[in-house]
Amino acid sequence: MNPKDTHQTAPADKISGGQKFAYGLGAIVNNLLGGVIGYMSIVLNVGLGINPALVGTLQAIPRFTDALTDPIMGYISDKTRSKYGRRRPYIFFGAIFVGLVFALMWQLPEGYSEMFYFWFFLIGSLIFYLFYTMFATPWVALGYELTSDYHERTRLMGVMNFMGQFAWISLPWFYAIMENDRFFSNSVQGARTLAIIIGVFVAVVGIMPAIFSKERFVAPESESKHKTKLLDGLKSNIALFFKGLLITIKRVEFLKLCAGTFFLFNGIMLVGAFSSYITIFYVFGGDTDQGAKYMGLFGTITTFSTMAAIVGVTWISSRIGKRKTFIIATSMTLIGSILKWFCYDPLVPWKVLLPAPLIAVGMGALFTLMGSMVADVCDLDELETGERREGMFGSIYWWMVKLGMALAFGLSGFLLNATGFVVDFGGAQSSSTFFWMILIDAGIPAIASLIAIYAVATYKITEERSYEIRSELEKRRIKTVSVDPLIQNS
Amino acid sequence: MKIKYIISFSVVLISLVFLYGCGEDQETGDKPAGVKKIVITMIAKSSANPVFLTAKNGAISEAKRISEKYKKIDVTIDWNTPETEDALEQVRRIRNAIKDKTDAIIVSCSDQDSLTSAINEAVDAGIPVMTFDSDSPQSKRFAFYGPDDIAMGESVMKRLAELIDGRGKIAVLGGNINAPNLRERVSGIQKAAAEYPEIELVGVYYHAENETESIREMLRVQELYPDLKGWAMVGGWPTFGRELMNKVEPGRIKIVAVDALPVQLEYVEKNIVQVLFGQPTFKWGTVSVETVIDKIYRDKKVNPINRLNTIPVTIDNLGGWSRQLKAWGYQDIPEKYYGM
Repeated sequence: MNPKDTHQTAPADKISGGQKFAYGLGAIVNNLLGGVIGYMSIVLNVGLGINPALVGTLQAIPRFTDALTDPIMGYISDKTRSKYGRRRPYIFFGAIFVGLVFALMWQLPEGYSEMFYFWFFLIGSLIFYLFYTMFATPWVALGYELTSDYHERTRLMGVMNFMGQFAWISLPWFYAIMENDRFFSNSVQGARTLAIIIGVFVAVVGIMPAIFSKERFVAPESESKHKTKLLDGLKSNIALFFKGLLITIKRVEFLKLCAGTFFLFNGIMLVGAFSSYITIFYVFGGDTDQGAKYMGLFGTITTFSTMAAIVGVTWISSRIGKRKTFIIATSMTLIGSILKWFCYDPLVPWKVLLPAPLIAVGMGALFTLMGSMVADVCDLDELETGERREGMFGSIYWWMVKLGMALAFGLSGFLLNATGFVVDFGGAQSSSTFFWMILIDAGIPAIASLIAIYAVATYKITEERSYEIRSELEKRRIKTVSVDPLIQNS
Repeated sequence: MKIKYIISFSVVLISLVFLYGCGEDQETGDKPAGVKKIVITMIAKSSANPVFLTAKNGAISEAKRISEKYKKIDVTIDWNTPETEDALEQVRRIRNAIKDKTDAIIVSCSDQDSLTSAINEAVDAGIPVMTFDSDSPQSKRFAFYGPDDIAMGESVMKRLAELIDGRGKIAVLGGNINAPNLRERVSGIQKAAAEYPEIELVGVYYHAENETESIREMLRVQELYPDLKGWAMVGGWPTFGRELMNKVEPGRIKIVAVDALPVQLEYVEKNIVQVLFGQPTFKWGTVSVETVIDKIYRDKKVNPINRLNTIPVTIDNLGGWSRQLKAWGYQDIPEKYYGM
């Protein structure tokens, strides 16, 4: 497609900078909540002496409850009819409750048994994740519907993804903050205080998207007054929920996006620890100081490259379309991953930094383009089913990401063991162990990138098709506005 | 509307600044006034021995790490090791450290009996003492970090048994007969050898702990037992130079030895020695300093005996071990091994 042929966003479809910023604040909170327990859980082990296996279990169980709660929340949000909208009330109260629960769940008393802490934290986590879902699912769905424009969606997701990076920059500092003996007597006390700070931050910042964002689809007044018998309503809703779930997971274009995300994101997550291990133990022969310095540098380059990639991808996508942009960006991750094979060199250590910017491009593109593309699928879905179900799509998409991440973390330990790695040997691992570690580190993301490219290459909602769908939807809305449960608020 | 955005932006900015502010000092390692200085006196056996120099590197590295991590303390290492092994000199240095009111002592004992009373004097004066590498078990030291010599001997024997397919004559090179740690290693070998009915242990051979004497004893035993299939060495003395290089046929007699210093690596490369058991000597420093800080600053419960695990070095991990030695501060490692 010639860049000159690309569609120009109509003024009515543009989202103001302020609204994009407000929505992006939700990304900081969302990413913070998504990663914070993983980063703070070390206190459960080193501070309270809970067995690492139990700590791992504490992090794994909510992934299974999410499988139920995420789509239910998506369904509830989709079906909500209130004068404040389908999303904003949940975002508002979800942010306040999740902040409160987070602050409370870390107020762990000292001197109790391991199982006491396990159950205390498990119950706290389950409530936390319930409110996290209450906040995050409608917030994700809101992003899909803030604009109907093909390109403006990508710009919104670019801002969201860019701002969300600040959470990932902050998270690695949390352990250092909790361990800071100038502020806290021990890491447990540090965790208590940090949790309160984070809880307040989440509650205050998390409500911003609810206050400043404008929902595009709102319920007509008559709809919110519609009453049914409680039991009939419940039965009908359960049936509708499963029907909707089935339709969602059968939507081929959506599944392609899920596959693209699952493989690319988790392919990289799966070997995340490998890069550190290889750098420290192979390149620097077990010199943790030098290895950590380079890993810090690697992380900084990755962060800045990701941010630059988000800006670049957003711009390029408006010229050549989302699918081609995704394929180009993921190809760069593929090249970066292959490059790793050649860049782990104990005689030339700085080479470990070379793949970082290339790998970051695909990651920067992923959540910028995928959010925008899922929104396009929601339009297609509405065209075929007559319903707007951003909540359902968003919840299933993000549950798949979260589940994949949990599986990746769990599996990476097994993979490391399978290479023959023995932690006590430090840098003196066998040549075959290092061979397998490097092969996995380079090979898995490379293969995963290839699969992701293949999955998205056959994705059919092009820019032209997207505008056709939109046009048809708008015609239909004009015709059916009197019976449609949702009307466009523009 | 604009005011709303300004307020929200300010809230976010202030929150982020606060969060980053908490971590900032961690990065810079600034030490404001009122920080407690902790001096740990380190007394190893000999400052001429590279093994102990790597332990010193480990201690300094750990002191730096801890000082960066904990804001209220600044840990420094007072390296106070005699040039050559001298137990009496170590005693004198412990007493000097008591006079200087050091905060803690870590020591590798050249002679456990000679040092017991000096260690007790330090502890009675309120200075906690920890031993590493070589213990003084009768003293009031609060902890020891070092290998389990019996287990090390067992590991040596098991690796040798694998190499000779569990059958044939073997001998043990035992070093100084009066060294308790070496005798424990020998007993570990004997214990493990008993599990292999087809292996005949022809004897344990003691000698002066130097290259020439150990090689002489080795060759003498090989003449006595021409069908000898393996050597279990509780120390690496014959491989501490190049003298042995042309005196044995590579691979004919299997050799498993304790110690894996840079000078020994060529023996593994040339298949004269099949397995070396290396000690992570850098950890003598890191673990000792960490344990001392756990005890005197973090008020944590400390295990009295902390075991160091040895690392088997073969041709398969020669490259990794070489890079590890370099990272610990060893010199004179042939560069050709780094790329292996």
